[in-house]
Amino acid sequence: MAITLYDFELSGNCYKLRLLMSALKLRYDIVPVDFYPGRQHKADWFLRMNPFGQLPVLKDDDLILSDSGAILAYLARKYDEASLWFPDDPAVTAEILRWHSVADDITATSSAARLALGYGYDFDIAKTQKGAHRIFRLMDEHLWFGEREGRDWLCSPAHPTTADIACFPYVMLSEEGGVGREDYPALRRWTDRVRRIPGFVVMSGIFPAGRAL
Amino acid sequence: MTLSLTDPTWYPIASSDDLPFRHVYQGQLLGRELAVWRADDGNVNVWENRCLHRGVRLSIGVNEGGELKCQYHGWRYANRSAGCTYIPAHPADAPARRIQNRTYPVREAYGLIWSAANDDQVFQPFPGAEGNDWFPLRPMPVNAAPEDVLAALASLAPDDQPADLLPGLTLHFGDTYYFVQPVDAGRSVIRGLLSAQPDSATLRHCNETLSKLRDRVERAAAKKPAPEPLNPAFEKVSAELSTMPEIAVPRGNTLTVVVKRKWTSADGVIGFELAPRDGHLPTFQPGAHIDLHLPNGLIRQYSITNGPGDLMSYIIGVKQESASKGGSKVLVESVREGDLLSISEPRNNFPLRRDATRTVLIAGGIGITPLLSMARFLDKSSLNYELHYFTRAGDVAFRSELEALNGKVIFHTGLPREQIGSTIASALGEWSLAQHVYVCGPSAMLETVRATAASQGWPEASIHFEYFKNDKVIDNSSAFEVELARSAMTLQIPSGKTILEVMRDNGLTVPSSCEQGACGTCLTTVMEGEVDHQDVYLNDSEKRSNTCMMTCVSRAKSARLVLDI
Repeated sequence: MAITLYDFELSGNCYKLRLLMSALKLRYDIVPVDFYPGRQHKADWFLRMNPFGQLPVLKDDDLILSDSGAILAYLARKYDEASLWFPDDPAVTAEILRWHSVADDITATSSAARLALGYGYDFDIAKTQKGAHRIFRLMDEHLWFGEREGRDWLCSPAHPTTADIACFPYVMLSEEGGVGREDYPALRRWTDRVRRIPGFVVMSGIFPAGRAL
Repeated sequence: MTLSLTDPTWYPIASSDDLPFRHVYQGQLLGRELAVWRADDGNVNVWENRCLHRGVRLSIGVNEGGELKCQYHGWRYANRSAGCTYIPAHPADAPARRIQNRTYPVREAYGLIWSAANDDQVFQPFPGAEGNDWFPLRPMPVNAAPEDVLAALASLAPDDQPADLLPGLTLHFGDTYYFVQPVDAGRSVIRGLLSAQPDSATLRHCNETLSKLRDRVERAAAKKPAPEPLNPAFEKVSAELSTMPEIAVPRGNTLTVVVKRKWTSADGVIGFELAPRDGHLPTFQPGAHIDLHLPNGLIRQYSITNGPGDLMSYIIGVKQESASKGGSKVLVESVREGDLLSISEPRNNFPLRRDATRTVLIAGGIGITPLLSMARFLDKSSLNYELHYFTRAGDVAFRSELEALNGKVIFHTGLPREQIGSTIASALGEWSLAQHVYVCGPSAMLETVRATAASQGWPEASIHFEYFKNDKVIDNSSAFEVELARSAMTLQIPSGKTILEVMRDNGLTVPSSCEQGACGTCLTTVMEGEVDHQDVYLNDSEKRSNTCMMTCVSRAKSARLVLDI
């Protein structure tokens, strides 16, 4: 087994895979892709691996995969012997995929606002920010009721799943897109819990949480 | 209604449940951003949400239980006082400068955290507050002016039971109170209190009602011009803050404390708990001591044993020595619980680095007191340390406090003299980079630790010590001239008088504490001349450098000294 991650250090979507592989204690190689300002994800050699021209791409021996949510599911199914990160139960699978889809919406809003403010992308900033707030409100509500019902994570199992990893980075990086999280206290508490998962690693812009022993 | 930055009203700013263990909550009231956190002792802190260093939000910081650590450069601030306790860029120095963050008043009541822009009003429970088991609803942020939100809430009341409008953006109907938290001119949070514990259907129903109300109010607000946000002024913090010279605390600046508790901790060691008459005591750092003004006029120094952010009282340990010159003797024999004493503000000449890979703490007898405090700080920050505590046979002072620590605490009780040296040698081990040892105890033991450490490769800068007293015989026979460069004064020091005394005679206010060359308070920079060091505070290389001296005992070998005073 030899895993290679085509990675951009500042990409939250690449970070999702680094995070899960760290939690699973997987060894992997990194090939840096200069997303900004080099736009290497639109270079021919990259498009041959992923014609959609999006990071991340992961190679496991000869298998080439793209889309962070799909790769999270793959890594969890293949390498998580305890089957906790992406359990087999059909109802839980549906729950997780539902939140993977929310994660894509967070990318389209919170991450887009960040790309517009920090990386010169021509997106409608006000619209993407508003969209991020709409999602965060719903997440805060979901998590607040979760705390009342004894559920600490986005999905019903009593442990984190790939859903939490998929949604986490662009929630944490939202301030770089001008989206504050002060109105979402339950969402902020959830980010503390994610940052206390054993094997948690940081990326630029995401600080560790203190211990809570 | 216009919001005012100086509105003294108490408003709820969070639910109690918003402050779980080791979390930092981000809030806002009347335009001011707040970092809100609960310390491990249960105390809730409401602070201005910025680090005094570079202005980074403290709400992204780390709640270490007794201190809040800024994420940016690791400045730490104490529970209750918000005083700065540690600056990692200056790991060997105590941040004794008066660096203190802005705090706001706080009360926790009825499941909510309340705060106000200032101290002008006493906290008053809302009418009907007492006698109910209140449940706070999920807070509902609304992007609309507080008065519009209040009006919309009033419209929720049934026609036959109109809402009862109360002061402070509050209203009540049925068994529910609603408080509107004025976040800013155009932003609010609805905080509802139910008078009994609800079932989950009720909670969902309330949340749905308030969500719909929020959407309606926000749609209306979007059609109006946005109100001008409040514009709170921030006090400027000097950019030089971290390199500013220490502000000298004049000797006369004392606090009155009450002896809250006095107990026998171990054979010959009496514990004293000293509490303020109201509020909390000043910030201190691990290793700090206070001057205690005794009823018989003597002044003695005692180390603070407390852990981080523990400011409701200072706990000191006093050894009753048979050879006591009337210092600890009067404390032990005549000071009783309930008595008032004067103490100085804490001063730290024995600062603890928190960037070590390994910290060895070595205590002999009553020398445990500063090291207990250090161990408690390291413990809360989950830093690696070993505490070796040497005592004579018999009971061990502060045993229960030491056993409550999570780190490595080793008791060496009643060791024969010849074993002490080898035990110290193996406790220290060989030195490697970023290891530090701190030692406090009898002079003979300090000498052993210093010599052993040096022989095992520990550089002087990694050996930190605090003597109880200076056992050396002071030779004060020399006479010389001292020029005070900043004060533009030249003083003649006759034999029999200290530099410190002559400076005082000439009207200068200079800080000092033990006045026997042990505590380090009167440390002064030397610009010219050769110093005759007679203290036990400076280490050998500091003495050789001839750049600093203790004016309480040390003198001149040359005819003239120039000091940076």
